[in-house]
Amino acid sequence: MTVAAIRLALVLALVLAWEGAARFSNPLLSAPPSVVLPALVRVLTLDSYPELPRHLLVTAREIAIAYAMAVLAGLAIGFALGLYRTLGRAYGPILAALYAVPAVVWYPSLMLFFGLDSSSKIAFGFLLGFFPITLAVLAGIRQVSPQLVTVARAFGATPLTTFVKVMVPAMMFTLVGGLRTGLALTVIGVIVGEILGSRQGIGSLINHAYGLLRTADYVALVLVTLVLIVASDALASLVEHRAQRWSE
Amino acid sequence: MAGALIVVDRVSKRYTTRSGVVEALRDVSLGVSEGEFCTIIGPSGCGKSTLLAMIGGLATPDDGHISVDGAAVDGPDPTRVATVFQDPGLFPWRTALENVEFGLELQGTPRAERRRIASDLLGPLGLRPFAAKYPRELSGGMRQRVAIARALALDTKIVLMDEPFGALDEQTRVLMGEWLLEIWRRTRKTVIFVTHSLQEAVSLSTRVAVMTARPGRVKLVLDLPMDYPRAIESPEIVALRAKLWGEIREESLRAIAEST
Repeated sequence: MTVAAIRLALVLALVLAWEGAARFSNPLLSAPPSVVLPALVRVLTLDSYPELPRHLLVTAREIAIAYAMAVLAGLAIGFALGLYRTLGRAYGPILAALYAVPAVVWYPSLMLFFGLDSSSKIAFGFLLGFFPITLAVLAGIRQVSPQLVTVARAFGATPLTTFVKVMVPAMMFTLVGGLRTGLALTVIGVIVGEILGSRQGIGSLINHAYGLLRTADYVALVLVTLVLIVASDALASLVEHRAQRWSE
Repeated sequence: MAGALIVVDRVSKRYTTRSGVVEALRDVSLGVSEGEFCTIIGPSGCGKSTLLAMIGGLATPDDGHISVDGAAVDGPDPTRVATVFQDPGLFPWRTALENVEFGLELQGTPRAERRRIASDLLGPLGLRPFAAKYPRELSGGMRQRVAIARALALDTKIVLMDEPFGALDEQTRVLMGEWLLEIWRRTRKTVIFVTHSLQEAVSLSTRVAVMTARPGRVKLVLDLPMDYPRAIESPEIVALRAKLWGEIREESLRAIAEST
């Protein structure tokens, strides 16, 4: 109760400060909450952007494809490098070096290569989501206690049963954490990609509103995006907590 | 040794480490008959655990061979041999009951049956109220009892125990020893028990094998025909303990001299 009250107080204070600051600034560049709210209503009633659902679906589809690819590739490459030492020693450092490069530097070349359509956004979302998943798999494998693997062997487990019944559960916590981070970064990748240049998707609407100085619409669209992202992350966090309770 | 259930025949084992080749065991021979409680005792690093791992099929001898129940050992065989380790090695995501079921699950025992077997084991171990608890909710002694129950669930003729009480405090150790003795006397399994503790050796075993400092060899084997439970203050036990200590002391001093 008190936590909620304190949180609400901060939100209220920020909204008030925003209202105050925006009223004294250039109305073209800043929109106070009193202006954003009606804009938000028009966005949600599909008045100002009748095609909003279609754009949201485009974005959702890009995220889904990019994330599915990031999960598959991240798990495959993570397990390959983690379970086969020679591979891990050969490619591990390359992976770490690539991860250290800010991913956004690759985006221009992705656009040149894949074009302005969905493919370049999927590629960028994939690129961002892939690394945390791969690295979580590698970290998770290192966390598996050798003792548990020995116990499994002594009780007659084959390498496959050891993998399924011991390794995967033992690394579940780290793995799920990596999958969650991967999802968050894929979402960022896709939306940033859309904002940087696209013809459809929620990012293209944001870019459009902002380019035309329709600041209130721009803020309203950002709020819609924010709510959707927070909701998807909350869902992921729920799954993560399940896994945490189960594996700890 | 002929006709023994477990036969270790002139076994040697070397390890390659960064500082060179370490000879862990040299020419070790030992026979253990059915129903025996055989303790292996010796200084740190004498290869006791290595020997146990080889009997359990978790390691392979470089020379010599090992057979269990007439068949050469070539890998873990949970239908003949169950193992308890010093680190209980319970699966943290499984409840006590599910941990006990692990081996049966791997052998494809139907769910209802393995649940029944595991529950029946937990009762006499005083673990029934903890069946649904996770390992992190159990004390060290309880965890080790779950690990022992997990081994007993396989219902093998042979149980190998690698310093199972090594990480427990002394009081718990003594109680666990009494409790293990009771199980052994009831089930009449063949036990090979590795320990550092003279007390455990003299109060539990039908035979004690003393090992030398590295490279480990069997220095002597003593038979302990005394009845159970054994009064640790009885002159016989005190004398035996002193004799064992004399032998082990010599080896421990050598082990310490070599490691410094």
